[in-house]
Amino acid sequence: MLTFVARRLALAVPTLLGVLVVVFLLLYVAPGDPVQEMVGERADPETIARLRRELRLDEPLRVQFASYLGGIARGDLGRSYITNRPILGDIVERFPKTLLLAGAAMLLASVLGITIGALSARKPGGWFDRAALGAAYLGISFPVYWVGLLLILLFAVTLRWLPPSGYGAPIYLILPALALGSRSIAFLARVTRSSMLEVLGGDFVRTARAKGLRERVVVVRHALRNALIPVITVLGLDFGYYLTGSILTETIFSWPGLGRYVVNAIARRDLPAIQGSVLFLSVVFVLVNLITDLAYAKADPRVAYD
Amino acid sequence: MRRFIVLPLLVAAACQGGDGASERATLVDSRDTYDPRSLDPALSTDVPTGRAVGYVFDGLVRFTPAAEVEPGLATRWEVSPDGLTYTFHLRRGVTFHDGSALAARHVVRSFERVLDPKSRGGRAEPLMPIRGARDFNAGKAPRVSGLAAPDDSTVVITLAEPLAIFPKLLAMPVASVIPDSVPENFGEHPVGSGPWKFVEWRHDDYIRFAANESYWGGRPKADSLLARIIPEPSTAVAEFESGNVDVLQVPEGETRQWDQTDERKALLQSVPALRFVHVAINTTRGPLKDARVRRAINHAVDVDAILSQLFSGRGRRAAGVIPPVLGGADSARTPYAYDVARARQLLAEAGHPNGIDVELWTSQTPVYVRMSETIQGYLAQAGIRAKIVQRDASSTREAARKGETDMVVRDWYADYPDADNFLSPLLASTNKGVGGNYSFYASPDFDRLVTQARREQDEAARSALYARADSAAFADAPMLFLLFYNELYAVQPWVRGFEVPTIFNGQRWLNVEIQRQTAGRR
Repeated sequence: MLTFVARRLALAVPTLLGVLVVVFLLLYVAPGDPVQEMVGERADPETIARLRRELRLDEPLRVQFASYLGGIARGDLGRSYITNRPILGDIVERFPKTLLLAGAAMLLASVLGITIGALSARKPGGWFDRAALGAAYLGISFPVYWVGLLLILLFAVTLRWLPPSGYGAPIYLILPALALGSRSIAFLARVTRSSMLEVLGGDFVRTARAKGLRERVVVVRHALRNALIPVITVLGLDFGYYLTGSILTETIFSWPGLGRYVVNAIARRDLPAIQGSVLFLSVVFVLVNLITDLAYAKADPRVAYD
Repeated sequence: MRRFIVLPLLVAAACQGGDGASERATLVDSRDTYDPRSLDPALSTDVPTGRAVGYVFDGLVRFTPAAEVEPGLATRWEVSPDGLTYTFHLRRGVTFHDGSALAARHVVRSFERVLDPKSRGGRAEPLMPIRGARDFNAGKAPRVSGLAAPDDSTVVITLAEPLAIFPKLLAMPVASVIPDSVPENFGEHPVGSGPWKFVEWRHDDYIRFAANESYWGGRPKADSLLARIIPEPSTAVAEFESGNVDVLQVPEGETRQWDQTDERKALLQSVPALRFVHVAINTTRGPLKDARVRRAINHAVDVDAILSQLFSGRGRRAAGVIPPVLGGADSARTPYAYDVARARQLLAEAGHPNGIDVELWTSQTPVYVRMSETIQGYLAQAGIRAKIVQRDASSTREAARKGETDMVVRDWYADYPDADNFLSPLLASTNKGVGGNYSFYASPDFDRLVTQARREQDEAARSALYARADSAAFADAPMLFLLFYNELYAVQPWVRGFEVPTIFNGQRWLNVEIQRQTAGRR
């Protein structure tokens, strides 16, 4: 088990290095000039040249890249060109908020999605199944942006139950988590349903029923647990969607998370901020994939890593 | 399924309790759409930063909501007859939020700090007219020779050459005065002498300010002020509708929904903004070198239709680059008439009877994308085949600065309320490209008039020179003249004393208050 974790982490290093190279090159070829974004709409050419020298943007690309790697090796992601604040501090300040939102959305999606999926599978073709299927299609098709605005309109402006946007007490978390999770609820319900149907037809389920277990125990303890393997995969893969989907959700709900930070950094060509946050998010992805793999072993004793 | 969704919401509604707008004593602003860059005046290049800096800091002078210059830390000033030396007399008894007393040396040090090559602010431009500022900024001189503090209450500033608009430059955020002790994280914990003390900044969320009890101009009427950062305009509207924010900049797309119901209309306030929407035409590229072709473009587009359809009539049609509220604007000048036949004729005269091909660049801001498509349609009628190139704002700007755009949609906001801030960056030959002149317009006559106006101390004479320069450029048509934008705000009924500012840092919330009795959820 430990060897497995260690090997996976070691393999992550070339992946992250690849990410860095790609981001670095992309930003280099992309149009838009960080220095001109720094100085605002107007500045004289001398100031621009001086800043370019100070930021060492006039040096050859590989020298810039080498010094950037050197910084990362020392745990230094550099300072933002625009705000002059350390990137790491900015990320540490915002990521927990994004994680909170993603976590809440994921929790909401798994509880609702798995429940709906399991209930649908109990009587395939029944009224609940058909209603849930219809709702799932709608849920998958609506963009986060639209769902978000609709939720604000309904629950904040019309009903006045919830605040429209902002960050603070748990009450502020409900609408964004619902918006971010809406697509996943639908998707998870679909996956759980089909996986459950497959499992419910299995021999061990027949055996469980034959030995006289109550239907509830059969469904929840025997079938559902086995049906969850593909659901875990989907959740793991979906985590990426939660982080990227949070960019829009954070914008609509004025949520001060990392997604907005990245968007702002890109709009202002704040190179160190873009590189730092992409690197950070890549590390998160690698870790999430690892956790997903470990969760398989937990859910299914047949899967073992050694 | 119903149970699952409704239950948490009911719980949430129960937790919310009874605090609505009626109990709120804090003024809440919704205008910032992104996090300020810093609260350090030296780094002030964007609107959210400039606004916040204006709350915490004072300059020698400042802008009123109507964008007039009024005394700030200086009670009065004199200009030498040659227009080179400005003597500012400082207000006595002014203290910074940390308790230290203002002295003339603070002004000198604050300006030197902005100009210091080490400060890396990049926005020292407004202070560059001071004699010796350029050398100091380039690291060639140990001090700024044009800055002096002969005694504690006098600041003498000598300019490199006469510049009548200099006091307006001093009302910009970058010319704010800061105290002696500047900690490393000054940008996060600013200390000034302004009407509001800095309390707390949650990045991408809000900035909180508290009334400065001992403000020399009188304590602000409200106790605290919250500048919320709301990136999505529709969300800001929802916050306003819910009574959570006091002031809203009505998005263009929503204008009709606001001015067509009486209840909402009563909340609206409109002022002409110092904002000029146009399409810069690069006068050095292909057929666009010919002024007749550029005039043809102006005749080909129905600007009135664009103004009423895309901007809901929020603005005035432009016949020149100087907004109507500024000196030098000539309201008698007639715009180019919408006349397709005339446009075709001008093209033919210029030797293009079969029309021309151009690229029309725009950022991805929805209203400008729609506007570009509309313009493309009009131009096609006259035989001008425009290809729309859509890029993000930063890339579009870079291409325009390099002179790679035939035509580029542009929305110009003033930094200071003066015709010079439109004529000179948009059209002076010294500002080609990076300086802001995306038309690459170069006219010796125009340049001479603008330079002459900058030196002229007499306001009437200066305005006349500006009007002449504007007329000359209008005839040369280095741009497609579109409109001067009107700012439209919605202000809650319980808010008293709010005036919509003409310039971004013209409203410091000194006289604004929440009337508690009538306050409540609508």
